[in-house]
Amino acid sequence: MDFMGIERDRLHLSWISSAEATKFIDVVGEVTAAIKALGPNTNFVKNKAKAA
Amino acid sequence: MLGYIDKIREIGERLFTDGKVDVVIGFAKGSMPMMNEPMMARSSGDLQKMVWDGNCGINLANYLTNRKEKIGIVAKGCDSRNIVTHIIENKIKRDQLYIIGVPCKGMIDRRAISKAVPGEVTEVIETRDSIRVKGRDFDETFDRGDVLQKNCAVCLHRNPVIYDELVADPVVEQTGIDRYEDVRKIDSLSTEEKWRFFDDLLSPCVRCYACRNACPLCYCPTCFVDESKPQWVGKGIDDIDIKTFHFLRAYHCAGRCTDCGSCERSCPVGINMRVLTKKLEMDCKDLFDWEAGLTLDKRPPLDTYRPDDPNNFIK
Amino acid sequence: MTDARHAVRKTGRHQAKANRQLLYKRVESMKVVKIDKKKWDQGLAALKGVYRIFSPVKMKDAFEFKALEENENPDLGGLNTRLSAKGLIYPQTEAMFTYTLDESREDHHIMSPVETDYSPRAVIGLRPCDADAFLLVQRNFDTPQYKDPYWIDAYEATTIVGLACENPCSTCFCTSAGSGPFNETGLDVLMVETKDGYILKSVTPKGESLIAASGWNDEISPEEAQKQIEPLKTAAEQKISSVVETDQLKNKDAMTIYNAPFWDDVAFACINCGTCTFVCPTCWCFDIQDETHKTEGVRMRNWDSCMFPLFTLHGSGHNPRGEKVQRVRQRFMHKLKYYVDKYNDGIQCVGCGRCVRACPVNIDIRKVCSLMNQPENATCAAQS
Ligand code: SF4
Ligand code: SF4
Ligand code: SF4
Ligand code: SF4
Repeated sequence: MDFMGIERDRLHLSWISSAEATKFIDVVGEVTAAIKALGPNTNFVKNKAKAA
Repeated sequence: MLGYIDKIREIGERLFTDGKVDVVIGFAKGSMPMMNEPMMARSSGDLQKMVWDGNCGINLANYLTNRKEKIGIVAKGCDSRNIVTHIIENKIKRDQLYIIGVPCKGMIDRRAISKAVPGEVTEVIETRDSIRVKGRDFDETFDRGDVLQKNCAVCLHRNPVIYDELVADPVVEQTGIDRYEDVRKIDSLSTEEKWRFFDDLLSPCVRCYACRNACPLCYCPTCFVDESKPQWVGKGIDDIDIKTFHFLRAYHCAGRCTDCGSCERSCPVGINMRVLTKKLEMDCKDLFDWEAGLTLDKRPPLDTYRPDDPNNFIK
Repeated sequence: MTDARHAVRKTGRHQAKANRQLLYKRVESMKVVKIDKKKWDQGLAALKGVYRIFSPVKMKDAFEFKALEENENPDLGGLNTRLSAKGLIYPQTEAMFTYTLDESREDHHIMSPVETDYSPRAVIGLRPCDADAFLLVQRNFDTPQYKDPYWIDAYEATTIVGLACENPCSTCFCTSAGSGPFNETGLDVLMVETKDGYILKSVTPKGESLIAASGWNDEISPEEAQKQIEPLKTAAEQKISSVVETDQLKNKDAMTIYNAPFWDDVAFACINCGTCTFVCPTCWCFDIQDETHKTEGVRMRNWDSCMFPLFTLHGSGHNPRGEKVQRVRQRFMHKLKYYVDKYNDGIQCVGCGRCVRACPVNIDIRKVCSLMNQPENATCAAQS
C-alpha cells in the first residue's frame, strides 16, 4: 500500500486477545492518533464515477 | 537461438510418431515484423509452420490451463517457471506434459525498436548478436543486448528449470544484475509522488485486460473485476477503478509472478505494470527468500505458515 | 435529418459504396482553398474561436486524439493514432443520465439529463478511414427506427477535417475495405498536404462553414486542385501493400463459413482481451452500468466487446458464447458476413489495420478474411 501511494500508517494490524482490554484501548488510541496526524485520505477515493 | 527450430521440429516429430503427445504448442511466424503467433500443432505436418526467434515473448504456459490432452510444449526459462507454478496449482499435470526446453537469450522489445527508428518497421533481420530493422526510409542495426525486453534484460533464469529435453546446451546465466532498481526508485518517492507516478503510469489504460489475459497466473473462472454480485470495481474509465484493478491483480500474483513480461508485452498501450508485480516479487525474495516457479518440491510462501515468518507489521 | 440526406455524386473507385455515401450529404459546388504553411496557425487560431478542436497529439509513445489547448498544435506528421477517432463521438465511458435516491428531494428516482457540451467541434487531421467508419457506426446509432441521442448529437456537432493519408502503414488495407487514403466519404473537408502547405477541399456544407470561419481564403479552382491532388492520391494508393479479397463473402452460405474447419486454429492464440474491438473505429457494442455513491447515481455506458465472456453471459448463468472459439468466430462473422448480408454495403471494417497492429498474439483479420472468402480452400491447418 505504501508503494502505491497510501501512507503506511493508515493500516494497522494487531493481535489482541479478548482478555487484553487495556491493550485494545491502547491500540485504538494509537491508530486514531496516527490517522488523525495524517488527516483525511485523498488518494484512492472515488465519490463519483468519471465519465465523458 | 536461431538454430533451435530444426531441433524443435525434430523433437516434435518424434513425439508425434511415438504417440507421446496429442499436440505441440509453440509459435508460428507472425504476419508482422517482431510478432509471432502462438500455435498448436496437431500433427507433424503442422510443425513446419513453427518458428523460433527473438519474437516469441508471449508466455505459452498460459495456453495449458486445464487442458486435458497430452501436450508437448516449447518452453523458455520463464515459461518453464510458470509451468512449475501451474503444476503446483493443479492447473495441469506434470505427466501430461513433454517440455521442450529452450535456453533463451532474451526476447526483442518491439516497442523499444519502433521508438528508436523514424518510421514504421517493415522488415527485421535477426542474427545471433544483432537486430537489423528496415523501413521505408531507414535501415538500422542494433545490438541485441540493447533492445531486449525489459524483463529479459534483468532475467536470472534464462534456462528452463524443468524440462524433458533441451533443444541446445544451456546458455550462461546473467550475473551481477540488479533486478529491482526501478522498484527501489519508486520506493524512495514520497506518498504523493508515488500516487502521481501511478496516475501517470496507468493513465493510458483502456481496461482491455490484455495484461491479465496474457498472464498464465490469471486463470480464475471469474476475475474479481468481472464479478457482479457483489460488484467490486466500477467498469468505466475512472482512474480509481483502473488502479483498483492493477493493484489487486498484482497482489493476486504475489509469490507466483515469474516476471515473464507477457503482461507488459501484451498491453496495447505499452504500460509497464510489471513494476507492481516486481515490488511483490522483491518483497517475497527479501522476506521469504522465495523466487517463483523454481521447484516442484516447495509450496509457495503465501501457501504455507512457518513460525519464523516475518511478522513485525503486527503491533 | 434522414430526409435531408439526398443522393450524392458517386465518384472514384468505390461505387460499390453507394449505400454508405447516401448516409451523408455532399455539396456539388465545393470550395477549395490553398493554405500557406505560414497562414496555418492564424486560421487554426480563428477556428479555435468557433470550434473545440480535436486533433492527433503525440502523448508518451503514441499519437492520440485530444482536445487542443489554447497554444497547442496538431501533430499531423505521425503514424496513425493508436486508438481510432471513435471515442470522440462515442466515448469509452459516457454518462447517460444521473439520478438521486435521496427521498427528501422532489426529483428522487427520476432521471435527469447530463449536461454534455454539444457546441460545435472540429476534428482536424483524422484519417479518411476513421471518418468512413463513422458512417458504418451510424448504422447502429441512427436508424429510421431508433435514434441514439448521445451519438447523434455528438456527430452532428462535429465537423470532420480529414487529412489525406500519404503515409499508409504496411498493415493498412483500406482500399480493399471500400475506403482509401484519399477517400472523401464521411468527411466534411478533405485536407491534402502539398509541398508548401495544404489544400482544403470542402465536401459538405459543414465543411464550407468551417473553411469560411478559418479565414483561409486563397481559393483555387476545383480543377486546379484536382490536378495537384490526383498524383498524390495515386502515389498513396500505390503505397498500400495489403490487399484483401472480400468478393466471395456475400455469396457464400453463412453456415458454411460458420462451420468451416479453421476456427479452432484461428482462435487458438487469442487471449480474448478485446483489444481488437477497443482500437477498432467500427466496433460499436456497449454495456450499460449504474454507479451509485451514497444517494447520487449515474447511469453510464461503456464500450463492451464480443471477445469478453461477460458480454453474452445470461442472468441464469448460461453463456451462449461460453467458449473462446465462439467469441472469436462471432467477431469475424459479424464484421465480415452478418454485416455484409444485412446492409449489402461491404464489410464492417474500413481497413485501418489497428486490430492487426494491436493484437498481442498477432491474430490478423486479413488472414481470417481470406479464409472466410474461400472457406472451401481452407484445411484444418489454417495457420499458414
Ligand atoms: S504478472 Fe506479468 S510478468 Fe508476472 S507471470 Fe503474469 S504475465 Fe508474467
Ligand atoms: S493490457 Fe494495458 S490497457 Fe489493457 S488493462 Fe492491462 S494495462 Fe490496461
Ligand atoms: S486483440 Fe487479439 S488476442 Fe485480443 S481479443 Fe482480439 S484477437 Fe484476441
Ligand atoms: S476490424 Fe481492424 S482493420 Fe477493420 S476497421 Fe476495425 S480495427 Fe480497423
